[in-house]
Amino acid sequence: MTLAFSLFARRLGSMFVTALCLSVVVFIVLRMIPSDPLAMLLPPSATQADIDAVRIELGLNGTIFEQYMVWLGRALQGDLGSSIYFREPVTALLATTLPATLELVLVSLAIALLISIPGGILLYKLEGRKGEMGADFFLVVLLSIPSFLWGIILIIVFGVMFPILPFMGRVDPSFAVPSITGFMLVDALLQGDLRALVDAFSHLILPALALALSFSPIIVRVLRSSLLETATEQYVMTARLRGQSEWNVLLRHMLKNAALPTLTLIGVQFGFLFGGTLLIELIFSFPGIGNLMVQAIKNFDLPLIQGVALVFCLMVLLINFCVDSLYVVLNPRVKTS
Amino acid sequence: MKIWQKTAVGLLFGALVSMGGPALAQDKPTELKIAFPVDVPSWDPTAFTAPPGQSIFKAVFDSPMFVDDNQEAVPRLIKSYRWLDDEGKELELEFRDDVYFHDGSKMTAEDFKFTFDRAIQNKTLSLNGMMATLTSVEVIEPYKAVATFSIASPTVLKYLGFLAAYILPKDYFEKVGEAGFQKQPIGAGPYKLVDYQRGSRITLEAFDKYWQGEPDIKRVIFEIVPDSSARVAAVESGRVDVSAQIPVREVARLEKNPKLEAKVYPYSEIYILQIPSYVDTFQSVHLRRAMQMAIDKQGLSRAFYNNVAKPISLLATKDSPGDVAGFDTPFDRDKAIEELAKAGYSKDKPLKIRLFSSNNTFPSDYDMARAIAQMWSQIGVETTVEEITVAKYLELSHSSKLDGVMLYSWANATGDPEIFTGRILDPRMRFSTWKEPELGDEFDRLNTQMDEEKRLEGYRQLNIKAAENAWSIPVLQSVSTIVHNKDLNVPTYQTGYILPQEYSWK
Repeated sequence: MTLAFSLFARRLGSMFVTALCLSVVVFIVLRMIPSDPLAMLLPPSATQADIDAVRIELGLNGTIFEQYMVWLGRALQGDLGSSIYFREPVTALLATTLPATLELVLVSLAIALLISIPGGILLYKLEGRKGEMGADFFLVVLLSIPSFLWGIILIIVFGVMFPILPFMGRVDPSFAVPSITGFMLVDALLQGDLRALVDAFSHLILPALALALSFSPIIVRVLRSSLLETATEQYVMTARLRGQSEWNVLLRHMLKNAALPTLTLIGVQFGFLFGGTLLIELIFSFPGIGNLMVQAIKNFDLPLIQGVALVFCLMVLLINFCVDSLYVVLNPRVKTS
Repeated sequence: MKIWQKTAVGLLFGALVSMGGPALAQDKPTELKIAFPVDVPSWDPTAFTAPPGQSIFKAVFDSPMFVDDNQEAVPRLIKSYRWLDDEGKELELEFRDDVYFHDGSKMTAEDFKFTFDRAIQNKTLSLNGMMATLTSVEVIEPYKAVATFSIASPTVLKYLGFLAAYILPKDYFEKVGEAGFQKQPIGAGPYKLVDYQRGSRITLEAFDKYWQGEPDIKRVIFEIVPDSSARVAAVESGRVDVSAQIPVREVARLEKNPKLEAKVYPYSEIYILQIPSYVDTFQSVHLRRAMQMAIDKQGLSRAFYNNVAKPISLLATKDSPGDVAGFDTPFDRDKAIEELAKAGYSKDKPLKIRLFSSNNTFPSDYDMARAIAQMWSQIGVETTVEEITVAKYLELSHSSKLDGVMLYSWANATGDPEIFTGRILDPRMRFSTWKEPELGDEFDRLNTQMDEEKRLEGYRQLNIKAAENAWSIPVLQSVSTIVHNKDLNVPTYQTGYILPQEYSWK
């Protein structure tokens, strides 16, 4: 465990360094865009003196390095500045919207796994059989449909043609779920409100499914390849020779080993899943940070874009850290080396 | 899967959905759900002038004056008013004594003073820009105040019913502070805010002490649905009763739905082409006229707005005070080619320009820009269409760095020419792109003219001059769309506002 602990510590350290580098990149890239965030803030009758005064107030008057140091100093104290458009602290805006996005992403990840693990196994079992070509074609079709298109298709099918699932917001307005953690499912559970819990979950199904449907074909492919690779391993042959059934070999021995590359892929692809929330949240009126980012970009709200971009980066780093940690725990080679 | 397993799954799913689903509709609904494209940026209504959010502000807050459907400014929270001088610098306002804020406190002249003093002191509030000539407010009686202006301000009564002019409750605001007010805003409007989920939902409840009487519909929910396809789906599936700003092409389809009523109606906003005077190419009046004459406005209306959007030749909506009956700058491609030749360009020697447009800021904006580019290309003005955000356009415009033409929309619920031409072409304004220096004095003269007839006539003449010089090219009067449940009475207004307080169930 000492080795594992040292690996965690090293990974954690590199995560902080990466986060710092990313903050520099985000800050500099946004400052290099030839746009003035004050355009939306001041009335048209504002004079140059007014513009200069507000620029100083917002800390936009110094060099990029000076601005970054001021911003970093404040950020380390939990102050990411104030949104120009919403006129609220960026941290407050993130605190209200991040849980919604995390909830959406985690549910979509769960759905993606529910789809892709059986899907990967099915494709592996179809290898060299009649249905293989058809299944491959189907997978290519699924791969080529982006998440926002899935969103629209799902709304039309399950929202309009067969109106059985809601597609606006996080919960029906008839439910008053006080925000404790910001996670609607958790809050409804904490309140002991089963109806609200079910309603909140039903609101998550379509947006989460839209994200999951574009994410799962990639996992299916990698899982199938991993299973095919694992099938030639010595221990699999041994298990078969010991008379274990094919399903037993697959589920007890092969799947666990084939899961490792899949796990790595999930870590890598998580950023795309998170990025997909931008359009999905917009289509499903979901009040998460994706929706917030779209508003921030539309209004060139520099402090908010910076804050949301940083949170996106941190989330991806955090998930990669979790995946790496899981890898260490699950991979016996790393554990015993 | 066996039949019993299928049945069990079906029953379980059905039970889950019905458990979580909204309550069954009652015979007489008291609730109204509106799918609306935008949220309010914040709950300080004096901080923003973005027209789309005004409908929500108007449900929660109320203004000293109100611009009615005839675009007349009529008293609202003000009972009466009178100018104390002939110069138009001192305005006495008498307020109603039966107006309550949502916390039960009475509105007085002190609240008016607090709201406008705050705007005078804070340049970042939009109300500051809207009431730029206001210098002070003095309370002379509990329900009387005198507003003083630096120069004659004949149109101030219109501004008091226009964007950002909402009265805030002084005592409450001072008690909770700005941040507290943003979290739990109260106003003197017909509805109280009971729940707010940013970017998703606004829940309002009728205010029983509203001075005009409690609204018919007791609960109004604005579902914020930025995506137009989702707004169509929402009204089509019956999940909302009203959907605003539906794509025009969808209106014709939804009209056939027996449960719905769909409307396309013109309102007080214009689509214009903003031309930068500081780009040498556009200094040629012949070029600008050629560009103006090459646009088939009726064709654009037919193609993108069901032929409902009215072509305009002046910086004014049809029949508004700045409009001139009979004046027209007709579409004439041959004459456009002749004018372009005078500017030194032709199809053989084309001019290359950029046309900027937002995408989906107003209906079919980008598509219309592409059509205009095509029309210009046919006479020898090769046009590249580039997408731009409104924020970016404003930034370029404010810094005089716009290096192409911009297709832009200009909303003005008052219909007053000062807020059309007087703002679009004033060279000192940061959002004017045509900066004709001589116009500054002209606007000063018109904007301080207390004789209403002379003021309006001056603006009409100026509008003609602007059209003849093509300083800015007016294209169409905008249209708005709304689709709603047939059992609902939904009046529409040329101000473009969605006012649920005026709605009722049949």
